[in-house]
Parts: sequence; C-alpha cells; structure tokens
Amino acid sequence: MIYTKKLMLIGVATMTLLSCSKLDEKLNGQLTEAEVAGQGGGGGGADVNALLNSTYISVYGPYSNQDQIFALQQHTTDETIGPTRGPDWDDGGTWRVLHSHQWDANHPYIANVYRDILKTSFSATDLLRFSPNPRQAAEARFLRAFTDFAILDGFDQVPYRENTDDPKEVPKVRKGIEALDFIIAELNEIIPDLSDTTLAFRATKNAARVLLMKCYLNKGAILNRETPSFDNADMDMVISIADQIIAQNRYSLTPKYFDNFAPNNNAISTELIFTLGNRDPAAPGNGLNGNGVMFNYHESLHYFSPVANGGGWNGFTTLSDFYDKFNADDERRETSYPGVTDVYGIKVGMLIGQQLGPGGVQLKDRKGNPLIFQREVNLLETDPIAIELNGIRVVKYVPDYGPQFPTSNDWVFYRYTDVLLMRAEALLRTGRAGEALIPVNLVRARAGTTPLASLTEADMIDELGREFYWEGHRRTDLIRFGKFLEPWQEKAQSDPKNLLFPIPNRSLAANPNLVQNPGY
Amino acid sequence: MILKRILPFLACSILSMLIGLTVFSQQKVISGKVTDKEGNAVPGVSVTAKGSRAGTQSGADGTYSISVANDVNTLVYSSIGFGRQEVSVSGKSTSDVVMEATNQELNTVVVIGYGTARKKDLTGAVGSVSARDFNKGIQTAPDQLIQGKVSGVQVVNNSGQPGGSTTVRIRGASSIRAGNQPLFVLDGVPLDNSSARPGGAGDIGVGDKSQGANPLNFINPNDIASIDVLKDASATAIFGSRGANGVVLITTKKGQNGAPKIEFNASVGVSSVLKKLKVLNATEYRAGLAQYELGVANDGKADVDAFDEITRKGLTQSYNISVGAGNETGRYRLSLGYLDQEGIVRKTDLKKYTANLSGSFRFLDSKRLGLDITILASQALDNQAAISNNSGFRGSLIGQALQWNPTQPLRRPNGSLNVDIGGSVYNPLAASEAYNDLSKVSTILATISPSFKITKDLEYKLIASINYGTGDRKTWIANFINFSDPRQIQRTFDTAGNVINAGGFARLANNETVAQQITNTLNYTNDLTSELNLNAVIGTEYLKYNNRNNDVNAVGFPDVPYPYYDFFSAVDQTQIKHGFYVSPTTELQSYFGRATVNLSDKYLLTATMRADGSSKFGKNNRYGYFPSFAAAWNIGNEEFFKNDFASNLKLRLGWGKTGNQEFPAGASQQRYNVGLGSINRDQLENPDLKWETSTTFNAGIDFAILKNRISGSVDYFNKSTKDILFQKDAPDPVIAGGRKWENLPGEVLNTGVEVSVNANVLNNQDFNWDFGVNATFLKNELKDFGAPLETGEISGQGLSQVRSQLFVSGQPLNVFYLKTYEGIDKDGIGTVPDTKSYVGDPNPNVLLGISTRANYKKFGLEINMNGAFGHQIYNNTANAILTVNNIGINRNTTAAALSAGESLASPIGASTRYLENGNYLKMANATLSYRLGDIRFVRGANIYITGQNLFVITNYSGFDPEVNTDKIFQDLPSFGIEYTPYPSARTITLGVNFSF
Repeated sequence: MIYTKKLMLIGVATMTLLSCSKLDEKLNGQLTEAEVAGQGGGGGGADVNALLNSTYISVYGPYSNQDQIFALQQHTTDETIGPTRGPDWDDGGTWRVLHSHQWDANHPYIANVYRDILKTSFSATDLLRFSPNPRQAAEARFLRAFTDFAILDGFDQVPYRENTDDPKEVPKVRKGIEALDFIIAELNEIIPDLSDTTLAFRATKNAARVLLMKCYLNKGAILNRETPSFDNADMDMVISIADQIIAQNRYSLTPKYFDNFAPNNNAISTELIFTLGNRDPAAPGNGLNGNGVMFNYHESLHYFSPVANGGGWNGFTTLSDFYDKFNADDERRETSYPGVTDVYGIKVGMLIGQQLGPGGVQLKDRKGNPLIFQREVNLLETDPIAIELNGIRVVKYVPDYGPQFPTSNDWVFYRYTDVLLMRAEALLRTGRAGEALIPVNLVRARAGTTPLASLTEADMIDELGREFYWEGHRRTDLIRFGKFLEPWQEKAQSDPKNLLFPIPNRSLAANPNLVQNPGY
Repeated sequence: MILKRILPFLACSILSMLIGLTVFSQQKVISGKVTDKEGNAVPGVSVTAKGSRAGTQSGADGTYSISVANDVNTLVYSSIGFGRQEVSVSGKSTSDVVMEATNQELNTVVVIGYGTARKKDLTGAVGSVSARDFNKGIQTAPDQLIQGKVSGVQVVNNSGQPGGSTTVRIRGASSIRAGNQPLFVLDGVPLDNSSARPGGAGDIGVGDKSQGANPLNFINPNDIASIDVLKDASATAIFGSRGANGVVLITTKKGQNGAPKIEFNASVGVSSVLKKLKVLNATEYRAGLAQYELGVANDGKADVDAFDEITRKGLTQSYNISVGAGNETGRYRLSLGYLDQEGIVRKTDLKKYTANLSGSFRFLDSKRLGLDITILASQALDNQAAISNNSGFRGSLIGQALQWNPTQPLRRPNGSLNVDIGGSVYNPLAASEAYNDLSKVSTILATISPSFKITKDLEYKLIASINYGTGDRKTWIANFINFSDPRQIQRTFDTAGNVINAGGFARLANNETVAQQITNTLNYTNDLTSELNLNAVIGTEYLKYNNRNNDVNAVGFPDVPYPYYDFFSAVDQTQIKHGFYVSPTTELQSYFGRATVNLSDKYLLTATMRADGSSKFGKNNRYGYFPSFAAAWNIGNEEFFKNDFASNLKLRLGWGKTGNQEFPAGASQQRYNVGLGSINRDQLENPDLKWETSTTFNAGIDFAILKNRISGSVDYFNKSTKDILFQKDAPDPVIAGGRKWENLPGEVLNTGVEVSVNANVLNNQDFNWDFGVNATFLKNELKDFGAPLETGEISGQGLSQVRSQLFVSGQPLNVFYLKTYEGIDKDGIGTVPDTKSYVGDPNPNVLLGISTRANYKKFGLEINMNGAFGHQIYNNTANAILTVNNIGINRNTTAAALSAGESLASPIGASTRYLENGNYLKMANATLSYRLGDIRFVRGANIYITGQNLFVITNYSGFDPEVNTDKIFQDLPSFGIEYTPYPSARTITLGVNFSF
C-alpha cells in the first residue's frame, strides 16, 4: 500500500511539473507597448519617426480613395454625380443618396469617413506618449488638427482621447466653436516647431498656416451653417497669414494648370504646399500610397478609355450646368497634355464628345457604338445606350503610363492658388472687391481665359469651382456661400439638416458623449 | 529538425514491435467452435483468456484455436451483437460455445472524453457511428463519413472542390465570431481547426477569397474505426473552454488479435457535374439579340458551350492496404493509402498519400506497463482553379464560363486563345489554361502514450503528441491572359501607344503549424460494493500551438518557360513583393476531473469539472471553470418495468457549462505593427477578455421495443451562449479597424428536439432489412444584442457595399435582411422599394437523415439520404452573373431572364428576387454490394458499386442547395449564400475489398 501511495505521489508530482506555464502570451511578429517604448537599441527611446510615418499614412487612404472624403465633399455638390447605370454603380443606392441629399445615419461611406479620419487623431495622440522631440510632436499635432478640421467641417462633433492606453476611456467631444478654437490654439503653438523644408509631403509651417487660414475663413460658417457670418477680425487674420506666405517668395502660379497634377508634379509644380508624396522613398510609407490618384480618373472614364491598369470604371461624371460655368477657352476645362494626348489620344479636364485612342482611332463602347460622351446625365440611367455614354467625364490628374504602380502623381492637399483665392475672398467679404479682383484675374490668366470686369460673391464661388473642381473643396465652399441647400441638376432643395452629416449609428452606439445631429 | 524528433519514435516503435511479438510463456492450446442458437457458425467472435487482452477470433466457419498460459481457467467470448460470455475451461482442451444475439446497441463501447463507457452507462447525449455505418464511396475527410448519420449534427460541403472545407454544426450555431466548428479529437489528440495549406494569392483580378481546405484532410477515412459525437454539455464539459460547439471523437483502427491479416481495398470511380445551370446556347442568344434589337455587333458567328469546355468527367482512384496482428503482449497495425481524385473542373484534383502506423504493447510479467505509439504521416497535393468567393464584375472561372457569349469563339481560327488583351471580358478557357495553383500539405502526427496500472483499479496514462503540418503553395499565371488586378498585373502601352500585356504572375507561399500536447490522467474504476461502482478520472493537459507563414510574389514575367515561379530571377527584383506572418504563441493549461457513480445498473450519476487557463484570455481572466452534472435512470432494469413490449427505457438529464475560445491569439493585448519606417498601433487591449460560455440543459429518453427490433432516442436541448466574443466598435477616435475584442452581454439561444430511430424491419435467414432515421428540429435566436451588424457580402457588378444578412436581436443568426422585389413594371424596369425587412433565415429548422440497409443472401443494398428544410439560400450567382442586361454587354444570360420582357436597364440590386427556398433531400450515397466470400487464399471478398450525390430533390435553382460560399464581411461570418462555387459532382465508384 505504501508502495502504491508513493507511486501516486510521484505520479501527481510529475503531472504538475510536466505542465506548468504562466500562460503569458508571446506576440512573436508584433511589438508590445513596452517593446515600442524601449526600441531604438542601446536603451534609447521609441522610434518616434516610425510612429510618425504611420500617422501620415493614416491620412492618405481616407483623403484619396473615391468612397471617403471625396464622396462626401464632391458627390453632395453640383460638381459631381455618381449615376446608377442599369446594374452598374447601384451599390445599394449609396452614390445616389449622396447626390440627392437623402442620406441617413446608416450610410456606409459616412460611417467609414468618421472612423477612418479619426484614426489619425488616435495615432497622433498615441505618439505623444513616447517622448517625441518638439518637431515630431508638432507634425503629429498638425496631422491631428488637419483631420479634426475635416470632422468639424462635416460633422460638428470632434471626439478626442486623452489616454490611448486606457482601454476603458470614453472619449469626450468638442463641438462647433469649441473644437475650432482648439484647432486654432494647437496650430499657433506648433508653428514655431514645424520645419520649413521644401518637401511638400511633410507638415511644414506653411501647411499649418494654410489650415489656419481655412479655420478663420470658415469660422462664421461653423458658428452658423445656415447663415454664415464673416467677422472683420477673422478676415483680417486670413489676409495677414496669407501675406506671411506670399512674402516668402517661395511659391508662384504654375504656368500650366495641369502641371500641378502631372505624374512629376513634385518636380514641375511651383505651388505645392502639402501633398501625399508618391514614388518618393523619402516620403512616409515609402511613397507607396497613391492608389487614390489612379482611382480619381479611373472612376470617371469608360472601360475602353486609353489609360493603363485596365481601363476606366464608367462611373462618376460632372454636370452640364457646372461645365457651362467655364468659358470655351478656359484651359482648366479641357486641354491637351503633351505626352498623353498626342500619344494615347486622351485629353485632360472635362471630356465630351467622340473619344479617341492611340493613333487617333475612334473608340467604341461595349455595344459597338461610337464612344461619344454626352452632356446629359441622370441620377438613374435606364436607357441601354445612355448607360455607356451619358455624363461629362473628368480627368483631373494626368494619367500616368509608367510601368510601376502606384502612379507617380503626388496627391494635392494644399496649393498656393488656394492661399491667393482665400485672401481674395477675405478681401471681398470686407468690402475690398477691387483688390480681390487682381489675384482672381491672375488665376484666370493662367488658365488662358479672359479676365473678369468685376467681382461679386456669385463670381467668387464660381471661380473657386472652376479652379478647385474635384479637389474636395466644393461642399465647404458651397456652405460658406450659402448655396449648399439650393436645387441643382438631379437634386431638389435640401433640408437644413443636410448642412451636416449625421453621426454614424455605429459611432453613436459606441460613445454616449456623442449626440445625433439635428434632424437625423 | 523534424527528422530529429521523428527518428526516435520510429526506432522505438520498430524495436517494441520486435520485442512484443517474440515473447511467449508456457502455453496450452484450446480449440472449439462458436455457433448461434440455430447452429449456424458465428465468425469474428473474440476469444480471449480472462484477464488478458490477447486472444484470437473465430474464423468463418466458427472454429477457433487459442494458445493460453497453463494456469488459465476461463475463456471470454465476446462479439458485438452477441454479448459476452465467460466459460470455464479448466482441464479442458476443447470448448464449444453457443452465443445469443443481444441488442448490440447497449453493449457497444463508446468513446467519451478521456475514457470509454458502455452505451448503456451513458448519461449524456452521444451519437456513435461505427465504420460499417459510415457513408460509402470516395470520402476525403472524416466529417463527410457521418453526414446525415447523427441527429443534431449538420455537415455541409461548402462547395464541390475535392478536399474542400466543410461546415459542421452540432445543435445549431452558437457563436458569431468565435467559430462554430466542433472540437475534433483524434485518438486523444485535440486538433486545432486549421489546415497547413497557405492561403490564396490575394486579388489577382478575380477576387481574393478562395474556399479553404478541410483541416482534417490528413486523416485517411479508411483508418477510422468509429466516430463518437458528444453533443450536450454533460458530455463535453470535460473539454472545458473548447467544448461549446460539441466534440467529435475519432478513433482509428488498431491491430486485431490473431495472426497477421492483410486487408486490401481498391476503388475506381467517375465524377461528372451534378447539375449544369441552363444558360442560352448560340441559337437562343441570337434570338435574344434580335428580341432586344441589339444588332449583330456582339454575334461572333460561333457556337460554343463555355461551361463544357472547362469541366470534364473526373477519374477517381483509391487504394488502401493494411496489415495488423496482435496477441496478449502487443498489437500493431500499419496502413497505407493512396487517393487520386480528379475534379470535374479541368486542371483540378486532389492526390493524397497516407501512412498510419499504430502499435499497442504491454510489458512486464504483470502486463501493467503499457505503451501505445501512433505515427500518422500524410501528404495531400491539390491543384486548384481560379475560383474565388468574392470576384467582382469580371467573375471568377465559373462565373466567366456561365456568362461567356456562346456566339463568341473561344479560340481564333489559327488555334490561339481568344483573349481580349486590355479588356475586361475573360475567356474562361484561357483563364483555365493560364492559371495554375498547386498546394502540397504534409502532416505528421506522432503520439506516444505510456500507461501504468498502479493497482488493478488505478491506472496512470500519459499522452504526449506533436502535430506538425507544413504546406507550400505554388501559383503562376501565364502572360497571355488579361487578368488585370490594378495592384499587380498591369496593362501597359508600348511606345506606339498600343496595349501590351506586361502580365504574368507567380507566387510561392509557405506555411508551418506546430501543435504539442502533454496530457496526464489518473483513472480509477472499482466496485465499492456489489451494487455500487465508481469510475473516476483526474488529469491535466497542456497544449501549445504555433503558426507562421510567408510568401513571395511578382508580376511582369517575360516569355520564359513555364512555370514562372522557377524564374523569379527574370523580373525586376525591386518589384518582388513579400509577405510574412507569425501568430502569437497559444498555450492552454487545464485541470479536469470526472466521477461516475453506477448504482445497480439502474441509477447513474456523473459529475465533471474542468479548469482551463489560456494565454489568449485577458490577464484578468486567465482561468475559466466548467462544471457539469448528469443523471440517468435505467428504467429498463427495474423490476417493475420488466415486460415483453419494451426491453429498454432510460431517462437522462444533464446540465453543464462549456466554453468557446476560438478567437485569434493576441486579441487581448495592446499590439503594434512594424512596417517599413513605420510603427502603428494595431489593437486596443482588453485585459478582461474571456471565453464564451454555453450553458446546456439536455433531457433525453433512450428506448428499445419489440424485442430490440426498434430502438432509438429522443432528446430535448436548450443551449444558451453568453459573453459572446466579438470585435465591437470602440468609440472614435480609434485605431485602424476601429474595434476591440469584447465579451458582449447578448445571448444566442438554440433549442430543439432530436429524434433518432433504428428499426430492424426484417430479419430472416436470407433477407435482412434495417432502417434508420434521425431528425432534428432546431430554433435559433439572438437576444439582447445591441446595434445590428451586417454581413453576407454580395459580390458582382453594381453590387458593392451590399450586405444581405444581419446579426440583430430577436432574429436568428445571419437573418436575411433585404429589399423586397415587386416584379417588373410596364416599362420592363424592376420595382424594388428601398425599405429592407427580415425576409428569410439561412439556418434550417429541420435536419433529416435516412439510412437503410438490406441484405438478400449475398447481395447488399445500402442507401443514405440527408436533407434540410425550413431555410433560404441567397443565389448570388443568379444576381450577379445571370441577369438580363448581360445580353446587351456581350455576356450570356438565361432563358428565364429573357422571357420576362425585362428592360436591359432594369436595376439589378440585391433583393428577395434572388432569395430562394433551400429545402432539399439528397440521395447522398447508394451502394449495391455482392459478397464473394472466400476464394482460394482470399477471405471475405466483397465487390460493390456506389453512387454519390445521385440526385437532389429541391426547388433551388442554383448548383446545389448544399452550399456555403464564404461571404464574410468585416470578419463576421455568413451562412447560406451561393456565389459561383466549384460545382458539385456526382460520382459512381466500383470497388473491391478483401483480406488475406
């Protein structure tokens, strides 16, 4: 019996010894917080540059993809429409309701924008935990301010976190003017620490200044979106910051408009202030985040349009009323681009009429009929011929035919013409229309068209449209000029609630500090 | 390195075999004949010396001859169906025995967790299937063997792909994110549910999600002796945090007692397409062009059938040979198997080589020390076609074949393939020729299990196993095809502006999985008094799991010889892409125990408890506790019950808690990803993360009536799953993905009734007929869930951002949430109002399995049918590929679409138009066999012809109502959607088996 008992004891002991683990999970291919903090070898701190690059990369997707900020800032305006072409582009009606202002709090793109743009806020705040130097902290805070401004503009409620390592934190929310004041305060604090480099893909003092200008220019609209006001003090701030930038003599209007959007725009443009650098190894993410540029022209062109990477998607177009705002000689509306039109047959700008391919061959659509882009477009296309041809197509970025992917064009966030025209608008709104006319006519001259004789608010909003079409400005500009609710092609008069997007249901459900915007 | 681990095993086992078979002690020989009541010979009766495990079997004529030690006084005769007898042989040298047929059911030994039990002693709900009842024909994996055989168990082949994955659900789906597959245990080794085959190549222009491989492919179904399915918590709680979805215990064949015996079986079969969807032929297409006044621009003047061009009749062969022997000191079995299954889609097939060596030995004079060794080695090679679950408007191979314009030739007059370089219409024949995808998965599962009988009641056993799987996958796409995924293969232009294809793609991928196990158990069985029997087991278990994979791929191959993956040197080296992944290490550490009390064979009580610690759980919830209790009352053994009508009546009640921890490792920690010059936060941590808990109540009745001619059981179950594992939206601002793993307060409730009845309808000298049916009635509901979540992504042109299913309170999981189709208006435009509603349920309400076996003299007929009722299927194939507008854009459609008078511009969104009734009854397999008996040196020869998937009775218009294309959305699983899957096959097989 004792023998047996001894055996049992040994057995039990062996059992417990053979398997005793603390069950701490080893991550293997990833890093824990402690490992991130202790990186940089030899007891140094975290690799903050790597964290900062991630913060930059988080901005690129939401801004350049066709179904995020572009959808919200463009499809809701008179510049862009995403018609349903029979079975194509139905997509659950998501594009139609954006144009007709009939979205609701379940709209997938609205939900994605709210979440994905706020990713940058999280990334920047998390970075601040790892002892960045002043410049790194300033760049992160700029990116946070940049994206927070877009949220403020579209949704009026900007949630923020203070402790990204507290999994139970419920983010507080800044609304309206409170959010704007915070952004302005942040920008003023960080401008001294930002660099002054000429590399447009990094956050620089000038990029921060441009954002500051936008804050002051739109402050009255944020206070009251239905009837925006323009306080003289705010307009003077816009002008004085613009003067700081102009005085540097660093930028000038690029002689050819589309050079700002060419594959090598980082080399030939003289206007770029803040961009997504593509194909530049020094840019964050190694310059490999440029799908958005390619999507930007693919989404409008036809399947048989002569572009690389598989032809267009026969989707979005502009509207004829908007097309008619241009003079016939305005190069911004349509021009040939050397190396593209002469070789492949496709023009840049807004495309109408018979389309050509390489060698001047007349292209056909999928049914074998001539590919002639039409002026008309309907929100719901039902005619089988119209499905292929309707709508004026837009090529804003010059197509890249290089062998590599992504395309080389740098995506443009801020450019110098914006500084000039924001300054002009501020002058106009403080009763100095004559002074405002000068830069406006310089911009028109660059576009190869006739100058204006005088400048009214109606002229100003039209000129902004002509200059910045399809660059993601239109919705903000229309609201500021009080025109966003007016009817236009394929849209009736909208409800005032449409001045703001609804807080997405899934974001509302996750944060009790958010309240739904009025009317939704 | 693996060789180092395996060689000791091999050496050990060979040595043990040699030792075991050469030990003999002082012997005498006893012989005799075993007959039944009518005087007929009873073959296959096991004859052993009492107290010993070694013995012999009665031969075909009922005679036997056994060599036993001189001091042996009693021989034990036992056989399934004839019970067990002990006969005294002291002083005798012959012993003839008469055996009486008994109800085989009750004495069958059933494998339960960490032990075995006789069926009549079970207190939980267990379904048992032995080898002779398995589904016949060519089966590649064990779960197909029990399809339709066990009540409460639903086995769905997700597509017709050879070796493709299956969905197995026991008593309904209880989980949203944490996986619904049961735990599979092979001879005491818990398997994790992953195949070592590397994933697909991502989006090459035809979608990026391909159907996975069945993780059980490495097991040879021929090696399996029985499969036991543990269904309720009182049976599965001993598996703790892995038992919530049920447990399937697979037991392989071991060597039988007696002289070495070789068993051989061979079969050859032909597979063809079960159902071909009817699309227009060339004449009908031309008529359609005329009907819609489209002119002849898209009439290619040819007449082709694209679907026929890419499918074929597939030849399948399967050969298995096994040799086994045993005596009182040891048994062994070695089996080798080869399967070569050609798929019905061209250039797809599965080849499988398996080798299984198992040995079981006893050492020391007292035979107290035992050693079991198993080595299972297998290699599966499969070729796949470009078929994905989420291809967009270009379609994947099946979609391309269905929508190919039948008037366009597939080949040009000069014989080359008609490929539209730079275009977006794919030639399915070219796609089939250009795409090549070969995977090779090698698995070695080695188990060593020593045991020691400390006293006659107490036994200690150790199981140590290592399961090593490695997969590699080679893919290449020729450059003459116009796959044009924007991220990889590009169309480019030469200097003259003409389109040239800078195409061609190759990829090499590797995957490695390692699972290690150490389980210790201490088992005690004793009759405490003459009425009271106690069976108890306590144990510990430690499991560790690791997985890593990597791949390399590139585009832009020049005209080098095929295959391109041998020519990575020929591409721009800076354009070669690499991917790497290594999973966090998962460890599971558990302590468990069970006690079963048997009072006079009338009252049975079982209690189990398991404490599970997992490295996956958050650090505040490392250990979970899972108890269960069950009681059974054998009314059939009570004095007051004895009657002529019913011979057995048993009442069972059980309650228990089990868990589910199938969420990804690392889900509870704060993690950072490292990229090129970038580090970003990848996850919000949750230190409170824990398992899902399922609480099940089960009440059952087992009965046998009419002299055991009819037996069966009825069970009622109520299974409630709480702490639902889920990646919930965290409040913004948040990281990429925006979610955090949490246990939600909602509940998934599955209730139902299982009925299974087996009847021996006729039992004569010449004619024997058995009939069995099992039915399950299920209801599934999600409760207290919070904001609804979408899944069931619908793919196709104009169908992006469309989801068809919801997880929402008050509805079953994956309820269909769609717009309602209201027909075509006078202009031929489809009317679909914008409001969505709950319109269907992909979870069947009734599962049915029917088996019948009849024997007439030497002929045998066996038929198995299974079916599911009360559910809907979404036909994404029809929604995306077979719409009327196709005829206007150079694509094919169906006659039904044309005859409706619908306009070509009618919007074709997702709606109830494509939601179909999914009821079906399938003739799963039917076998006609002829027993040749003994011919010269060959024993027990049998020839048979089997038909699988012979026909399906259904109104569903797609390929096969048994379908489950993976339409996952944001990691939420879908169910019951079909999207251009690999078509199902009908197979006719001719086979022979015999032994000698």
